[in-house]
Amino acid sequence: MTNKKMSPVITILLLLLCVIMLIPFAVMLSTSLKSMQEIYSRGGVMHFFIPKEVHWENFIDAFKFGGANWLKYFGNSLLVTVVTILVSLCINSMAGYAFARLNFRGRDVLFFASLVGMMIPPQATIVPVFFILRHFPLAGGNSILGQGGTGFINTHFALVAPYLAGAYGVFLFRQHFLNFPKSLDDAATVDGLGRFGIFVRIYIPLSKPIFATLMTTKAIQCWNDYTWPLIVTSSEEMRTLQVALVLFKDAVTTQWNYLMVVTCIIILPLLILFFVAQKSFVEGIVSSGIKG
Amino acid sequence: MMKKKKKQDNVAYAMIAPYYIFMLVFILLPILINIFLSFTDYNLNTMNFVGLKNYTRMLNDPILKKSIINTLVYSVVTLVLNMGLGLLISILVLRTGKALGVIRTIIFLPYVISMASASMIWLWIYEPGYGLLNSIITYFGGVSKDWVYDVKLAMGCIILVTVWKFVGYNMVIYTSGIMNIPAQLYEAAMIDGANVWNQFKYITWPMLRPITFFLMITGFINNFNVFEQVSILTGGGPVNSTTTLMHQIYIRGFVDYQFGYASAITVLMMVVVSIVTALNFRYGSQGQNTDLS
Repeated sequence: MTNKKMSPVITILLLLLCVIMLIPFAVMLSTSLKSMQEIYSRGGVMHFFIPKEVHWENFIDAFKFGGANWLKYFGNSLLVTVVTILVSLCINSMAGYAFARLNFRGRDVLFFASLVGMMIPPQATIVPVFFILRHFPLAGGNSILGQGGTGFINTHFALVAPYLAGAYGVFLFRQHFLNFPKSLDDAATVDGLGRFGIFVRIYIPLSKPIFATLMTTKAIQCWNDYTWPLIVTSSEEMRTLQVALVLFKDAVTTQWNYLMVVTCIIILPLLILFFVAQKSFVEGIVSSGIKG
Repeated sequence: MMKKKKKQDNVAYAMIAPYYIFMLVFILLPILINIFLSFTDYNLNTMNFVGLKNYTRMLNDPILKKSIINTLVYSVVTLVLNMGLGLLISILVLRTGKALGVIRTIIFLPYVISMASASMIWLWIYEPGYGLLNSIITYFGGVSKDWVYDVKLAMGCIILVTVWKFVGYNMVIYTSGIMNIPAQLYEAAMIDGANVWNQFKYITWPMLRPITFFLMITGFINNFNVFEQVSILTGGGPVNSTTTLMHQIYIRGFVDYQFGYASAITVLMMVVVSIVTALNFRYGSQGQNTDLS
């Protein structure tokens, strides 16, 4: 679109849109700083966005409320996210390289068979995946036939494992590695590097943007997920932030200020990541959309 | 692709093994296990073969019927709004030049936060007594509404949250698609005297067809699986007016412990998703001929 003339109508429209998109964030922020008294008093619409009195102590009190162990939940979410990112970067880049550059029998069949993984939305398989985790042989007190114990239910493994299964990362890396000149491999072979060595010494250092892209994609997926932790964990020991937030809602019922404080803090890490690595975020979206 | 006889790289099997194991155990195997479970009455402790009982039960389940209708309504309305607004906004935003980055960031922002947090914020906005929405309405002299507690409005509330959260995603994809359309096409059209509408109709829209198709397919599949918003905002209520297929799977399985029945519903879900995906493979390939990236 080369037409760069801006009509004032469009400007106003977009400005209005931006305001609308930001309203929920503003409401969250201002509510988190209010007293419950102020929240339950009628003071016009503007009072929604600017608290009359600022109660910073909400940000401490909210986390003491109801005996919830937020540090524990934060640790769980962080652990799940970091482990998922690290492991999936490893296994997806390796597989992507093998599919893009190595010759082995059944390569194309294996690659296209794993296409199936991109078709089935992960939420759709909650029942059978739960079943597999619960009746995993020899895990969590199970017999060799998967009976008797609770398997991987209520373990960190159950929280992480399904996130590792996605095919998206492999496609991303394969696509990227296919663009590398083959002469690069040949030169490295002459220098005495093996296939795996070429991958580690040459392909990985040249692929930082792709690693960043997959990292942000996985970070959103893991940190923000509610369904999966809800299903495979029930103990407080394993609770993640998103599940804890929803449980907190039921516990505080009408303490909207505390609820908004917790919401603020939970979305903060990803907002920071987003502003630091915005390019990778958008790249992740676009590559899933167009090349996917 | 290379037909030349080359040395076998056996290290490849080791390199794809970790990925493939997770893929088999957590994506392919579950599909088979789900079909198996749908013929049983598995309830965490016991498991008996019950034949087609779960499937015949599905035929006579009014709540399931309701959930299918809800899911379809939700999916189609959300899809149309997300894609329509996403396209419209991306066209408008691209005309802003310098401010593009800022506006795009703001509109994309809700995509970054979790559905659980988004639902919390909107639950407070929808709150009937002191929430923002009713405060605005009463300020202008309107009548307060019950929003998520209103049988007629609850589904609309869920859709609004979803559109707020995902319209930015659609916008980003459309924006990158439009930016990839060769500028010469527009230049030629302008020389021929085509107005803005005709430029859109004859250049932008046809060139974006593969992206539109992609967004439609993936959007439909994602919407068809809606769960988190429903579970948090309304819990499927009031009186099942917002329960969806995925929510039924969750309730039947993880609340009622009727995993066999939940699996049968999952089979239905997978069939629908497979049909849509097959459509994608059948008709989506034409898009790959268009050079987009």
